[in-house]
Amino acid sequence: MFEKTDQQLITKALQGNKQAWLNLLKRYEKPIYNYGMRMTGKNEDALDLMQEVFISVFRNLASYRNEGSFKSWLFRIAHFRCIEFYRRKKPTQGLDDAPEIESEEKSAAERIHTTQENKQLVSAMQRLPLSQKAVVELKFFGQFTFDEIAEQTGISVNTAKSRLYGALEKLKILMEVDYA
Amino acid sequence: MPKHDSRIDGTGSDKSLSNHSNLSNEHLLGLWAEQQLTESQQYEFEQRCLQQEEFAKQVETYNIFALQSEHYHDDEVPNWDRESTFDMPQKAKWWQWQGLPTLSFATSMLAIVMVLTGLQVRMDDGAMTISFAGKQSTQEIDRLVNDRLVEFRQAQQVALTEYTQALGQQQMDASAQLTQYLLGASRKERREDFAELIKYVNEQRGDDQLFYARQINKLQQNIYAKPDLTGTINE
Repeated sequence: MFEKTDQQLITKALQGNKQAWLNLLKRYEKPIYNYGMRMTGKNEDALDLMQEVFISVFRNLASYRNEGSFKSWLFRIAHFRCIEFYRRKKPTQGLDDAPEIESEEKSAAERIHTTQENKQLVSAMQRLPLSQKAVVELKFFGQFTFDEIAEQTGISVNTAKSRLYGALEKLKILMEVDYA
Repeated sequence: MPKHDSRIDGTGSDKSLSNHSNLSNEHLLGLWAEQQLTESQQYEFEQRCLQQEEFAKQVETYNIFALQSEHYHDDEVPNWDRESTFDMPQKAKWWQWQGLPTLSFATSMLAIVMVLTGLQVRMDDGAMTISFAGKQSTQEIDRLVNDRLVEFRQAQQVALTEYTQALGQQQMDASAQLTQYLLGASRKERREDFAELIKYVNEQRGDDQLFYARQINKLQQNIYAKPDLTGTINE
C-alpha cells in the first residue's frame, strides 16, 4: 500500500484529522520512547518525556516549515524537552555535571526488559552528563551527522565533536569496568 | 555509520610524518566517524592510532559503542494515551467567537459616540443624509424653515378662507332674516292700516247713512208737515 509521507500526515493533522496525527505519532513513538529510555533510564520518565515531546510537537506543528527532515525537527524538540525534564527533576544539577547515580536509578536500569547489551549501554549512558549523553544518543542511535547534532542541540559542530570525544573517554572507563 | 575500519596495520607508513596537520584528536575522530577524511587526514589518523595509545583507545571505544548501538534492541512502546497529545482546540461555536466581546465593545463605543455627537441619519426621497447635531448646514435649516413657513402659510390661508366664507354666510343669513322680518312687519302694519282705514271708511259711511237717513226723515217730516208743497210739486 502507498504510505502517506510525513508532510501529508502533518497537513491532515493540522486540518484536525486525528487519525493522521495518530499515524504520524505511531511512526515515531518508538524512536522517541527509546530515546527517552536511554536519556532518563526509567520507563516512567521515558513515557512522561514521550508524552511531553508529542504534545509539544503537536502544538508547534504549524511552525514546521518542511525545512530538513521531520525526524530531525522532532528530535530537536525532544532534546529541548529532555533538558527541561532534567531541570525539573534535578534542578540543582548542571547539564555538564556528572550525574549522581542513585540506588533507585540503578535498579531502574536493571528493570529494563532488554538484552544484556541494552542494559550495559543504558547503564553506561546514565553515568554521562546530559550534554554528552545527548550527543552520544544523537550520534549513535539517531544516526545524525555532527552538523545535524549541532543544529538540534544549539551548539557548534566543534563543541559536538568535543563532547563526543569526552563522552568516549568516560565510556571507555565505564566499559572497561563493566567488562572487567 | 562510518566504516569502522581504522586500518591501523601500518600501511602507508612510507608517507612522511611531516604531513601532520593541526587537527585536534576530537576533530580528526569526528571526520573519521563521518567518513570525511581526505587521504592525508586518513594517513594522519592511522599514525595517531599507532602512536597515541589514548587516541587508539578512543577509536576502539567508538567502534565498540557503535557496534553495541547497532545491536541495540529497541523496546516496544507500552500502551499509552496517544490521543491526549491531540490537543486540537474545539471549533468554537459562533456565540463563543473570540471576537464577540470586542465587537460588543466596539458597537457600544459606536453607540456612545453617536449619542454624544448627536448623529442623525435621515432618509429623504431615497437619499440618505448623515449629520451631527449642531453641525447641520445653514441651507438645510433654511430649507426646513421655509418648508415650515409655507406649510403654516397654507394652513393659515385655508383657515382664513373658511372663516371668511363662514362670516359671509352668517351675514347673508342675518340679512335674509332681517329682510324677512322687515317685509313681514311692514305687510302686517299695512294690513292693519288698511283695516283701520276700511273701518274708518265704514264708520264714515255709517255716519253718512245716519245723516242722510236723518235728512230724509227730516225731509219727510217737512213734506208731511207742509202738504201744499207736495201737490204743487206733483202738478
